[in-house]
Amino acid sequence: MNDLTEDKARSAIAAILRYGSLISTLVMALGLILVLLRGPVSFGPGGHLVSFRTLFPRVTHLDPATIAEFGLLLLLVTPIFRIIVAGIAFGLEREYKYVLISLGVLAVVCGSIGLAMR
Amino acid sequence: MDLTWLHLCALVVLGAVAGGVGSLTGIGGGLIITPILTLVFGVPIHQAIGTSLCCVIATSSGAAASYVEHRLSDIRLGMTLELTTTLGAVTGSLVAATLSREALAILFAVFLSYAGSTMARRSFKAEAAEPSLLAPYKVKRLPLGLCGSGGAGMLSGMLGVGGGIIKVPLMYLAMGVPFKVATATSNLMIGVTAAASAFIYYSRGDVWPLITAPTAVGVYLGAALGAQLMRRTPSRWLMVLFSCIMFYFAVVMIWKSFHGGFAR
Repeated sequence: MNDLTEDKARSAIAAILRYGSLISTLVMALGLILVLLRGPVSFGPGGHLVSFRTLFPRVTHLDPATIAEFGLLLLLVTPIFRIIVAGIAFGLEREYKYVLISLGVLAVVCGSIGLAMR
Repeated sequence: MDLTWLHLCALVVLGAVAGGVGSLTGIGGGLIITPILTLVFGVPIHQAIGTSLCCVIATSSGAAASYVEHRLSDIRLGMTLELTTTLGAVTGSLVAATLSREALAILFAVFLSYAGSTMARRSFKAEAAEPSLLAPYKVKRLPLGLCGSGGAGMLSGMLGVGGGIIKVPLMYLAMGVPFKVATATSNLMIGVTAAASAFIYYSRGDVWPLITAPTAVGVYLGAALGAQLMRRTPSRWLMVLFSCIMFYFAVVMIWKSFHGGFAR
């Protein structure tokens, strides 16, 4: 891989990580502030949002606890996007061995999401 | 129990401490969060581990961005080892569900002791003279690395830790990777490892958003601040202090396990 493309790939990966964690943190913080402003909400398990049918209606109705939970999910998917970006970078550089490896890692993580959604 | 400003601040502070210690020493995020959540906040250990996993992702993503940009992380090696580390993580998270709180607490305490002793030893050893980082290195013993990463992944999925405490020595001592590259690569890998098991915890209801979100926000802030405030490695006495705290937590967790402290 020549240096210029390697640098671009690294910047892209770093950007995903940086903005992914920043945005998710901001969304979580927003959700938490709203929770506190709107009155007491009790602790309890999450896990409702694995079904996307319930996610978007609750987020767009600005249900604060759901916003915080959505931010959390954004945090959890950031590493997944990192794998995808890295895989694409490897592909652009024709390092197909690493494209395959990235697909393998992605498969395991998606498999775990599949297990989670059962 | 309701979320109040007090809870929120306490959790953010907890996260900030964990994030700061984690970013400075490479050890600590998960190892601080779980004991304090269980022992001080009274959160059941399975849920504490779920929270800790999410916070580990926060520490990893933040710090890894700089390491990647500064060409310290070996992205290829990290991706390769992530094959087994993610499989281990998924397995670990499934195993954790089958363990009782007491068993998990004892396992955690054992790991805490190991981490504490590693930190203590590290604080007394002078840093070996590092060859130039740009000097090319050849990765050795990849099969061993894959197995070791699988084990580290399993620990991560079971105990909610990053696993860096195994991955870094593995890469540095066994695989011929320079120390700083090993640390940077481990940091990069930790996020994916935690994500692999975090979804399973989340779907089990083992992630309580109103506890996890403030802690994760704190971790992000602590890790960012830690990187800014202390450019040099922390003093040896600070590391000795942390290792003492870890031993203390380990002892308390074992004691509680045997005295019904975790009973439902």
